[in-house]
Formats: sequence, C-alpha cells, structure tokens
Amino acid sequence: MNFQINRRGLLKTAAAGAAFGALQPFNRAFAATDLVWMTWENLAKDDYLAAFLKGGDVSLTKNFIGTDDEQFAKLRAGGASSVDLITPGLDKVEYYVASDLLQPIDFAKVPNAALLYDTFKKTDLGKKDGKTYGIPFYWGINPIVYRADLMDGEPDWSVFFEGDKYKGKLAMRDYALEGIMIAALYLGIPKDKMFDMDDKELAEVKKALLAQKKLLRTYWNSIGDLTNLFASGEVVCAFSWVPPYYDLSARGLKMGMAKPKAGVIGWCDTIAVPKGVEGEKLDKVFSLVNYLLGPEYGEKLAFGGPYAQGTSAALDKLPDEQKEKIFVKDLSIMDSFVWKKNPARYNDWVALWNEVKAS
Amino acid sequence: MARSRTGFWLSVPVYAAVVALCVAPLLILLAYSFFQVSFVAVLKEPTLKNYVRIVGSDTYRWLILKAFGSGLMVAAITAVIGYPVAWFIAKRVVAAKSAFLTLLLVPLYTGDLVRIFAWRMLLGAEGVLNTFLMAFGAIREPIGALLFSSLATHIVLTYNYLPFMVLGLWLAFEALDDRLVEAAADLGAGAVSTFRRVTLPLTVPGLVAGSMMVFVMVVGDYLTPQLVGGASGITIISAINDLFGTAFDWPLGSAIAWTMLAILALAFAGAAIVINRSSLGKALAAGEA
Amino acid sequence: MIAADRAKDTSGQENRPLLQGIAVHKDYGGVHAVRGVDFRIAPNSYVTLLGPSGCGKTSLLRMIGGFEALSSGVLELDGQSLAGVPASKRPVNTVFQNYALFPHLSVQENVGFGLAYRRLSKGDMASRVEGALSQVQMTPMAKRRPRQLSGGQQQRVALARAIVNEPRLLLLDEPLSALDRRMRKDMQIELKDLQRRLGMTFLHVTHDQEEAFALSDEIIVMNNGRIEQQASPAEIYRRPASAYVADFIGGANLAPGTILGAVGEAAVIDTPLGRFECPAVAGLRDGDKAVLCIRPELLRLQAGEDGFEVVVTHTVFRGAEWLVEAKASGDITISLIVDDPEPPAVGSAVRLGFDPTRAWIVAASAGG
Repeated sequence: MNFQINRRGLLKTAAAGAAFGALQPFNRAFAATDLVWMTWENLAKDDYLAAFLKGGDVSLTKNFIGTDDEQFAKLRAGGASSVDLITPGLDKVEYYVASDLLQPIDFAKVPNAALLYDTFKKTDLGKKDGKTYGIPFYWGINPIVYRADLMDGEPDWSVFFEGDKYKGKLAMRDYALEGIMIAALYLGIPKDKMFDMDDKELAEVKKALLAQKKLLRTYWNSIGDLTNLFASGEVVCAFSWVPPYYDLSARGLKMGMAKPKAGVIGWCDTIAVPKGVEGEKLDKVFSLVNYLLGPEYGEKLAFGGPYAQGTSAALDKLPDEQKEKIFVKDLSIMDSFVWKKNPARYNDWVALWNEVKAS
Repeated sequence: MARSRTGFWLSVPVYAAVVALCVAPLLILLAYSFFQVSFVAVLKEPTLKNYVRIVGSDTYRWLILKAFGSGLMVAAITAVIGYPVAWFIAKRVVAAKSAFLTLLLVPLYTGDLVRIFAWRMLLGAEGVLNTFLMAFGAIREPIGALLFSSLATHIVLTYNYLPFMVLGLWLAFEALDDRLVEAAADLGAGAVSTFRRVTLPLTVPGLVAGSMMVFVMVVGDYLTPQLVGGASGITIISAINDLFGTAFDWPLGSAIAWTMLAILALAFAGAAIVINRSSLGKALAAGEA
Repeated sequence: MIAADRAKDTSGQENRPLLQGIAVHKDYGGVHAVRGVDFRIAPNSYVTLLGPSGCGKTSLLRMIGGFEALSSGVLELDGQSLAGVPASKRPVNTVFQNYALFPHLSVQENVGFGLAYRRLSKGDMASRVEGALSQVQMTPMAKRRPRQLSGGQQQRVALARAIVNEPRLLLLDEPLSALDRRMRKDMQIELKDLQRRLGMTFLHVTHDQEEAFALSDEIIVMNNGRIEQQASPAEIYRRPASAYVADFIGGANLAPGTILGAVGEAAVIDTPLGRFECPAVAGLRDGDKAVLCIRPELLRLQAGEDGFEVVVTHTVFRGAEWLVEAKASGDITISLIVDDPEPPAVGSAVRLGFDPTRAWIVAASAGG
C-alpha cells in the first residue's frame, strides 16, 4: 500500500491529532474573529500590528515558533486546523504544498502583493502549477559577521576553509543546508547547479567541510548563543545572521559584516494560509496578509528589525541610511544572493553534514 | 472475589495511563521505523532498510557508541566523586543534613542553560580559569581545550548529573546499618576490608540506581555537548533531532531511537542476568540489601 | 568470692584477671556516661553488666569492644593495655543487639567472615564454621540468608559468628532482648551451657535482673555511670552494697534510719518501723544515716503486739501467692508476699514481723 499522509489521513490515524481536531469546532464557534498566526516572535510585536487591530473586529492569537522544522512538524501532526496563518521559509513552502496543507493565495484580496519585488514575482519558489501558496513576506541575508578589532581585514568564505590564522576562533551555523551551500560557494559550484550536486561534487564538499571542522571553535545553534561567543571573544568570525552585528556594535564592539563576492545566502520567509480556513474568516486572514505587505508594517519592520519587507510598499518612507541597512538601497544586489532552496537530495545533505560533525 | 474485581477496575486507569503515555508512543515509533520516506510522504511499506542503513553507517554506529561511552564514563566519574560525598552526608552530617541535600540540589534549580553558560565563563579562553592560570604564570597562552572540547562536555555532564548519583547513593548509605560496619571491624576486618566486604556490596543498589539515572540522562543530553562540546559536539540524539526536524526522515530517526532502546534493553537484561547469578544479586533480589 | 575462686589464668597464675578496668571514664561532650569505674573480670567466667537503660553499661561494653575510645582510664586484657588497639585487632568478639548479621551473605559466609583474617586453609575454615554452627544447632541452615531466619535462629548465627574466632572475651549486648519470653528462657540455658563447654569468658549486658541471676557467676550492677557493686548473684541479693542495689535487685523494702550502735558485722538501726539489730555493711558508725533493707519474702503477717503496723493499700493475685502493698509509718511503702488463700482486706491494718538476722543495713547514699 503506497499511502501518502495528508492532513485528514493523519487525523484519522493519530489519536492525538484526532483529539486536537475534535476540539477545534468548539473553539471556532466561540471566537469567530480570532485569528491564530504561527510566526516568529520578532514579527508580531504589538506596535507593528496596532494599526491593523485598532478596527476591533479582529483579534490575534500569536503562536510562536522556534524553528521552521518545528512549524512543519506541528502542521504535519494535525495542527493545521488550529491555525489560520503560518510563516514558512520560502524554500520550505514546497514541503507544505506537497503535504497538502496549504490553500492558494487569492491575489484579488491582497492588493499589496502587486508591489512585490521582481525577484519574488519571478521566482518559482512558493508556487505550484501557477498558483502561489506562500507570499514572500520579509527577507534578508546571512552574511559573515566578525570582530573587526580582532581581524586584519574583511574575510570571505575562504576564511572558513583554509589557513590557520584564525584556527579555533571560527564558528559555523549547525545547519546542513547553509553549511553545504557555503562549501559549494567556496568551491565555485554555480548557483544554478548547487542544489542538484552529484556524488562527485558532494564528495568535494565533504572534503572541504572536514577541513573546515578543524578550524572551528564550535557550531552554533542559536543566534543568542553566537552573540555571546562574539562578545566573550571565543569566536572572532562566523557565518551568522545579522542581529549580532547590530547588537554588539550598539554595545561598543567594533564589528564587521562581510558579503563575499562569491555569493551571499539570502533567506526569505513567506506567509501562507492553511487549508480549511474559509468564509468570512478567510477574508479576515487575507486582509491581515495585505496589511503585512503594506507600508505601515513595512516601515515598522525596517526600523524595528531591521528587516526588509517582500514588497516595496514602505520604500518611499525610509531614509537612505535605513535602506542601506536592509539592503534595498541598490536593488541590483539582490541578484548576487543565493536564495535558499530545498535540494533534491536533502536527506543525503543532512547525512553528509552529520558525517562531518561526527568525524 | 468481589473485592479482587473492584481492585481490577480500580487499576484500569493506571494501566490505561501506562499504555497511553509509555507504550503507545513507543509502538508508534516502532511502526515508523519500518517505513520509508519519499520527500514529505511516508511510505507505509514495511522494510528493514532503515536498520540496514544504521548498521552500515560509520556515523550512526560511532555516535551510538559515543553516547553509551559517555554515559558509562560520566556514571563512573560521578560514582567515584559521589560515593564519599554521599557517605559524608549520610553518616557524618547530623544536624544540617537537609541543608546539605538542598545545597546539593541548588544547581538543579538554576536550569540547564544557566549552568552551561556559567561553565563557559569558567572554562572559556578568556574565562576565569585561564585568566587565573595566566595571572599566576602557570600558562602563557590560554588553554583552548578547556572549553568546546570533549573534556568540557564531560566536566559539565559530570557536574550536571552528580546530584542524581549522590541522591541514589545517599539513600543506600542511609539504609546501611552502622552496626554492620562495627561487626566487620569486630570480626577483624580493617578499613579497606570492611569497605570491600560490607560497605560496597550493601551500597551497590544505590550505585546501580544512581548509575542508571546518570547513564540515561547523559545519553539523552544533547544540549550540553552542543553548547560546550565545540565542533565535535554532535550526539546521536541531536542527529535523531535533525532527522525528525530538518530532514523529515521520521522513519530513520525512529529506527535509530529503537536501535538505542534495544541495545539498552539488552545491556540491562545482560546485567540483570549476571547480577542474578552472583550471590550479591540474590541478596538484592530477596530485598535484603 | 565464687568467680575469684575459680579464676585460673591460662598461664596458671592464680587471681590474675582476664580483663581489668582502672578508672575507666567516658564523656560525650559533657555527658558523663561512665564515671571512672574499676572492675576485674576473671577468666572463664560468665559476668553480666546489669543496670537500667542509660546507666552506662553499653558505653562500657563498646569501649571494651573497641568501638569507642576511653576519655580517660585504662583497660587491660591479659595484663596488656588496650589503648590504641583497634576493634579489629582485639581478641574480643561481640554479639550485637539485633545481631548485625550481614544481609548479603549466607549463614555460612557470616560465620566464616572473621576467619578470613586468620591464616587458615580452606578446609580448616570450613570445618571451623561447621563446628561453630553445630555448637548452636544451626547446621541445617548453613545456606540460608539472615532474612530467612527467625529471631532466635539469627541469634544463634550471631553467636556462632563470634565464637568461631575463639575470642579471649565474648561481649553480648542485650542479646536476648528481641526474643519472646519463652525463647529467652531457653536461650539463657543454652548460653550458660555454651560458655561452660567452650571455657570462654562471657561479658553480657542486660537490664533484666532475672536474666543476670540465671546466667552469671558474677554481676556488675551499674547505675548512673558508676559501678554500684560487683559480686556473685547470691551476695548481691543478700548483701547489697547500697540501697540502690537493694531496690533494683528484688525490690527490697527500704526504711531510712540512724545507726545507734555498730558492732563488727552488725548494727542497731532506728527507723520509723522500729529499732532492729541486723547484719550491716562494713564501716558504719554511730549516728550515720543508713537504710534498713527487708526483702518482701522475709515479712510475715503476725498476731500480737510484736513487729510494726501497716495499712494495706493494694493486693495483687500472682497465682501461688498474693503480692500485698501497704503503707507503714513514716510514709514507707512496704511490699510483702502472702501465701494465704485470701489476702488481708485493702484498708485494714495488719502487723508484720521478720527475722532481723536476715535483713540488711546499708549506708544511706549521698543522693538519697
């Protein structure tokens, strides 16, 4: 029996899921205008959303996630019927669509989507059969962050693979997808081939990663932890997210942020609507989606994050300095990004990553 | 008859809870371990491929071995440190006994992360220990291997789980009748001989209980190796975590989990058989020690 | 003295004690458990240390066993000081209260425990264990574990475990207290037999005077950290050294009074009961405060004007006889044994008499 689990199938088989589902109609009957948004904590700050909620006909329940994987696992285990809006990564939307968890976006109800940057309009990610399931909602890059006071010059990807000047003072994120992408960038594997590497290329990647491991102080798992490692001087240079650069600069440390010419990993999160949300509630959900792509939210995010929105809605409201910070001053830079994508042989990537770490 | 039937019905919720909370999840896991995954679809065709992969994989074999090795090692270290501590609290402390036990448990109240970060401050390259050693000229360069190394992992694991070993041993020492030690001395046994022939055998139940607790917790702790173990901080548990989360390979993750369970069960069964055959084991089984 | 008469050292020397205590003192941070006692224990004798709980008898035994250090004083075994000799090196073994058998070892292994510290062949060891077990009739239980034995059986194993080492001195700490009355009687006889058969010296701590009488060649009566008297059971009963001993042993009636005239081993005492001439402890002088001790069984109901008058307060039927309690003048409580079919009525006044040559006068103790 070749049997693909979909949400309803799982609900039938898994007792926990069934119990979860059985409770749901009850909840909905009593809170018709309450929307449940599964999202990252930093995207749902009260002042970001105040303009949308002040009308009073919608209330919002925030359901914070720790990782994208956790969000997917929750939905797969039957949690889809308990949320109205989710925040999957652009590269992960494919998973949700394949698991039949999402409904297509009705662009008629989301006018701000017309303002999406071209890159996002053109990308295949988040789409299937011409329908969009996840709208690129906010994005950024994962650069190299370093202690400018403790390094001689701006590093590029090679600092993680060769020489031993900074041996034992480097850190890499413990994440197979990005770790292998960086090795591929270092090895000069073209962006369009990167996600379909063959055995030979993967073997080269593995060799490079084994060399990298000898140079590392540690792999990092949370951005707070990495910030701590930078601050204490245990690590001088890491493949990072942006926040430690701003946090530690604000605390008086001389930090640097490098965007290697070989390519920078760009990330993008989307908003997507689970299957089963319908009627008046669906309209409310789309009006929230429209707000999230609109100028009020975009401005708040640009200063509060600082992160760029998926649309150009707020662009006019931002001073150049702030545009620089969120990489939208010169939009052509987007072309040098490597957008994270789900590799065809992802399980092999994960296995390879674990082999390197366990070596 | 009526009474025993009432007893049966009263015990039904207990059995139901055990089945629902312990047995059922494990059985679901076991079922999954025979499936395959294709992208995001779980193929429910029974196969042994996952187990074949584990047996054939240097990585998973090594990680499982490493987990059990760490468990045994930390159990042994905590036993050596905890034994005299437990003896002291049980036999030499009279008035402040509860204060000592509370003190012992204080680190547990602080939470995993706080403890781990405290150790980082202590062991880091610019940490307390290195600064101290350098100030006194004992070393010229900071010792990097103090943190983000297997050494650091084992130091922190030992610190984290020592209280459980001490608690197990403390109970055993409390149950140990001092007159038995006097009796051994009376019969001619010196301190070493008394320890070997009386104290140790009679505290073995505490040692076994403490070791099992520490072992299981060390095997299951992936946070400590991840946060202080450095580049080699991967554990079989974090690998399982990756398989369930990132890779969406629940079947392989389940198979590894069940492989570990099976090895543990076999090891415990083997230990039980050995203990059962020894005279000490018979005494323990009879509830005498 | 009976024990002294029999005292024969292994070397053949007469009168040399096996164990001697000189000014033995034990103090636990200001609490004086044993207050500078002297005693001698003859070889091959059965001696009991008798006293109420808290009198210091267990502390004394633990010092002899080597489980407690002396605060001051000297203990000598066979003329050699025991100072600094650990328990494990003393030729002394102990039968502990509640036996302290090793729960993880079989009966056989328990008994053989101490033999491991001797240079013995396996065969010798086995035969000595076997011998000790047969001494206490426990051979069939050799393979069992302590938990599978009754209290009496555990007692025997504890005995075997101690005697198998052939100690110079065997210490028994309230060994029979956990047994029921019937079992205790049987064990008393066995203990005495065993001591005679083995020719070993037993020092037995108990609070039970009947037990002490049944077993002992000599009794050491302790009270409040001091030795009140060390003597044969008969001597202790008939000629107690103090009012305390007289009361503790056999519950003598005590009448305080004043010595009017002391002549050799007798004295005249004036008490609220009357004036009597009786045997007395040595050293009493005219005018000394003293106590007249009259055993209940000495008192007789009698007619006429002789004796002294009491008012009956309680009567207790004891099968063969009645125990009668009464009040005499001077608020003195008097007990006596009446073997008439009916006792005197409660509240009635009766006259009592006794043979003064069988009563006994002791000095009044400082504490009263």
